[in-house]
Amino acid sequence: MIRILKTVKDKVVEFLRLSDEVARSNAVETIETEVEELDNIFGVLVLGSYVGMPSPPMQISLDLMPFMEKELILMMEKVDTASQPLSQLFSVLDMG
Amino acid sequence: MGKGGVGKSTSAALFSTSLAQKGYHVLLVSLDPAHNQSDIFERALSDEPVEVAPRLRVGEIDEDSWIRAYLKDVRRQINRTYSYLTAFNLDKYFSVIKHSPGLEEYALILAYEHLRNKYSGWDYLVFDMPPTALSLKFFALPSLSLVWVNHLLALRREIIEKRELITKIKLLKKEFERDKVLNKIQEQREQYEVLREAFTNPEKTQVYLVLNPDKLSHAESLRIFHSLKELDIRLYRTIYNKRPVNETCADIDPVFADIPSLNFPLSDTPLIGVQQLQRYLQANDGEVQSRLNVC
Repeated sequence: MIRILKTVKDKVVEFLRLSDEVARSNAVETIETEVEELDNIFGVLVLGSYVGMPSPPMQISLDLMPFMEKELILMMEKVDTASQPLSQLFSVLDMG
Repeated sequence: MGKGGVGKSTSAALFSTSLAQKGYHVLLVSLDPAHNQSDIFERALSDEPVEVAPRLRVGEIDEDSWIRAYLKDVRRQINRTYSYLTAFNLDKYFSVIKHSPGLEEYALILAYEHLRNKYSGWDYLVFDMPPTALSLKFFALPSLSLVWVNHLLALRREIIEKRELITKIKLLKKEFERDKVLNKIQEQREQYEVLREAFTNPEKTQVYLVLNPDKLSHAESLRIFHSLKELDIRLYRTIYNKRPVNETCADIDPVFADIPSLNFPLSDTPLIGVQQLQRYLQANDGEVQSRLNVC
């Protein structure tokens, strides 16, 4: 009996932990998308010359480049989704 | 600074030789790709200054080698921090980047910083400047870069703030990793602020304008005066070569009236070789020394 109660208690704790995690994830989803957009803007601003955009003085880009692999990859990925801004927005707002 | 052919290199050589004769330790460096100092001192010069007279060392900056070394260093850092495939994709980008506008003046800035640190204990560092356009870009680089760096810094801080918020809510963490990009931008800001302060502080950098009695030289000198003023850099002295008798810089334009002049009397013989420079200075000792004392 005690074993059954312990199992039930563990399940309830696990359920609550997961619910908390999901709630926290949902709460920051929009901010995460916003950060991703800001990261992309930062990448385009600094490494714009790599994709043919106006860029800051070359030495500023070159000095930051070794620390910006993530932004560089994100910038390239964004090129693929750039033509479908509406579907991206629906996905952020969890619609459809 | 001054228009091409007005005698910047000869004036810099005379000025440096004169200071060395007075007992100061002087480093004369040519930032001009034309590299006239090796012709004036009749010897091959390089990035490593050599002693040409007691207390006087002369060198010439090879821009290309500074650009190559800088790009090699960036490439090395990228190879160390990037995953293999991303680094591989950047190869094509790097093969053309050495021809990018802006790297020329940055190479001069790197050489300037290196020499300023290495010879910080010396009395005078005299720089023979390149043609006007490149010289102005050299002086403008710190201010222009700071506009970008401050903007990037604000954006990066916004990103970090939001990232910290996400980490706090999702993972309940209170300690965060230092952002390497933010560190680098702050480092850049410090570097450009030090440079801008060095260029605008007359106790650290004194800009001499060399000019000739012809309309083109006058027009370019005026443009230099106004461009430097926009960058908050004041002209320290003018050197009016081949000056007509009874004419001063103030006659060219009233803006030059308040700037003291350091003029070298016209030489009968070409000023080539350190002995010739010393001989000229001895022959014109009174006039040159009295004007140097104004500095």
